[in-house]
Amino acid sequence: MIHNVLFIGVGGEGVLSASVVLARAANLEGFEVRGTQLHGLAQRGGSVPIHLRFGNYVHSPTIPRAKADLIIGLEPAEALRACYFAERKRTNFVVDAFPIVPIYARLNKQEYPEMKGIGKMLKPFAKKLIMADASDICEKSLGNPVYGNIAMLGIALSNKMLPISRKSLLAALKETFPKDYENNARALEIGLKWEK
Amino acid sequence: MANPDILGASGKKVVLLGNEAIVRGALESGLGFSAAYPGTPSTEVGMSLADFAKKLGIYFEWSTNEKLAFEACVGASFCGVNSITSMKHFGFNVASDSVFPVVYTGVRGALVIVVADDPGGLSSAQSEQDTRLHARLGNIPVLEPSNAQECRDFAKIAFEISKKYEIPVIIRTTTRTSHAVGTVKLGKIKKGITSGEFRKDYGRYYNIAPALQKLHGKVLEKLAGIEREYSKINKIEGNGKTGIITSGICYEYVKEMGLKNVKIAKLNLSNPIAPEFIKKFAKGLKKIIVVEELEPVIEQFVNQVLFDEKIKIYGKSLFPRYGEFSAELVAEKIAPLAGIKRQDFKKHDALLGKLKIPIRRPVLCQGCPHRSTFYAAQKVFGNSAIWAGDIGCYTLGVYEPYFTDDFVLSMGSGTGIAHGIKKVSNQRVVSFIGDSTFFHAGMPAIANLSYNKSNPVVVILDNSITAMTGQQPCANSGINALGEGAKTIQIEDVVKALGISNIKIANSYSQKDMQEAFKQASEQKEAVVVISRGICRLLLKRQLHRKGKGFAKYSIDQEKCIKCRICSDKYACPAIIRKKNYIWIERELCWGCGVCPQVCPVNAISLEAKK
Repeated sequence: MIHNVLFIGVGGEGVLSASVVLARAANLEGFEVRGTQLHGLAQRGGSVPIHLRFGNYVHSPTIPRAKADLIIGLEPAEALRACYFAERKRTNFVVDAFPIVPIYARLNKQEYPEMKGIGKMLKPFAKKLIMADASDICEKSLGNPVYGNIAMLGIALSNKMLPISRKSLLAALKETFPKDYENNARALEIGLKWEK
Repeated sequence: MANPDILGASGKKVVLLGNEAIVRGALESGLGFSAAYPGTPSTEVGMSLADFAKKLGIYFEWSTNEKLAFEACVGASFCGVNSITSMKHFGFNVASDSVFPVVYTGVRGALVIVVADDPGGLSSAQSEQDTRLHARLGNIPVLEPSNAQECRDFAKIAFEISKKYEIPVIIRTTTRTSHAVGTVKLGKIKKGITSGEFRKDYGRYYNIAPALQKLHGKVLEKLAGIEREYSKINKIEGNGKTGIITSGICYEYVKEMGLKNVKIAKLNLSNPIAPEFIKKFAKGLKKIIVVEELEPVIEQFVNQVLFDEKIKIYGKSLFPRYGEFSAELVAEKIAPLAGIKRQDFKKHDALLGKLKIPIRRPVLCQGCPHRSTFYAAQKVFGNSAIWAGDIGCYTLGVYEPYFTDDFVLSMGSGTGIAHGIKKVSNQRVVSFIGDSTFFHAGMPAIANLSYNKSNPVVVILDNSITAMTGQQPCANSGINALGEGAKTIQIEDVVKALGISNIKIANSYSQKDMQEAFKQASEQKEAVVVISRGICRLLLKRQLHRKGKGFAKYSIDQEKCIKCRICSDKYACPAIIRKKNYIWIERELCWGCGVCPQVCPVNAISLEAKK
């Protein structure tokens, strides 16, 4: 059994570091891990999709079409872009309702969809859809919205969307953020306690 | 900071990026010397070495281009020190002038070249060139890992082959191996020698005729030896009447299908390929499908070897010769031949068709000095000017609303081509080139236009760092790869020495300064170099962060704002948000560069009062 997680967001949102934490946690659980990262040009405020797969053995580092188990959308419109990998019998979504309006949409006279509309478009692809204001909560309680990515891992975990233990995630946080462990661990707890 | 797991204990299983796993493999092979020029998707090889070199007591440098990085490694290798260099596929074009002759002379210490191809151009704006063909041209052995574990394993084999056969060896990755993570079981790090001596060996290290032909013959003998000894690292799996021959990432896509009754050959050594290996594999097969991205390198070889056999061979008749493959594409093409029914995605397609997803392309960061430079250049020269682009963050000027790239080809080429245009046309030509690109390939272009007398306006974007690939220091940064103080080579001194007398230095963050410099440049009859100097905003952000500081913030006075949309749609900083006619600066996003108040016609933008 392979577990497929897709992280998607905008360059600079902490998409990469959230995926690194989960990859480390999956490794601690003894899973074989494969996935992709995106660097360079794509990072500059562009769309950043990161694939992470773990299980007994994994081949392709990218998730096959419609085979994602969990999509963590750090930006709502980007969650839409991930739907190629989603399918309603299989895919759970945890989406941060913090929009980053792309400049090119504006220059091309495109309207950024309303949050309700995004939810409506995601539903046909989702087994379960959680829209959470993770960045906002982290800004309020930790003083920085950047911890939203880790809070979202907590939300996924408490909703039984990840076959990973809290202990492994905390250990992975410690390895990934040795200098800023406290705040990241608190962000994870915020996510674990989050309720709609 | 580089991933500390690269230095994990022997026997441990860790998750590494392909590039990081190559570094680990090199460290397990007695690496002593390394040099590179950054280029996505190869950069993390150098970045990891830069961060760990001091700790490990080995040498690393960011050289000023790939050829010089390779040559530095050749020097170390001639003295018996094991070395590694890394580059992206076009980087190999630059290096190849020296790589090809070194294949003839041979090396002493192992010399491994990591070349990261980028099918689909996920992070490249030049071509989809296939390094496997380049390697055939130069008679260079090639190893092709499929995943991170193999990146580590094959790096070790590459060092072994290079040392034993005294020949440079290429590790060829593609984006989905170099930038893919995977579980890697670590071996023991082996300390290599870091100093040596050049042993005079008259006649060994040059290719002057008639020795040239003999040396060429010797290279072919070496390749034959490698073919005999190392074909064993290729793998044959499964059984059936249908065969698949593949290599690199395509192997993983094939395996993802979970095929039964199919025989698979995985070419780990993709140059040279042993004909006997292919013949042995083909025995009893009715058809063979060759799965490889880009050029039909393996396919042509297989056709040649099995010319007399009655086996149907599929390759580029099924698969595209361009773009990146995926597990889907491979499954879609193989399924009918393997007699498998594929999942139907018609309903899924229909659902996807209903989504309204806004375009999101990479943008220049908020507060980027290039934005200010482009805005001023458009203001002064107008869009009738011919804009010569180059490779770096500033390539993003190609998009609206700046449109400051009429062409973008390769490192340093913007200025080289600008010269040619000026020789045959009276049009105004403005070329943009970054500082790191200037040191990489721009200096010869300026020497040429100075010597052969043409007069484009060359704008050197001096943000004091190689920004695009992730902030590597370059020759004008004042520090080296290891973070030690280094000579700051002043661009204006170099340009002056190249015979350019019209040099204007302007502050990127001052519209007045920039526009004035461009106006003066536009009045000149001779070549002008404008140096637009302003620190990379992302670099400044990191420097401030380390001191516990942040940026000052700007805001728009809504009473004064006349909704002219200059700041939001013409200057177009991503921190300035406009919804219909309401325009504001998103406080979190503002990096306080102070340029937007300068473009506002009614002084509606100002610095926030300190709280």
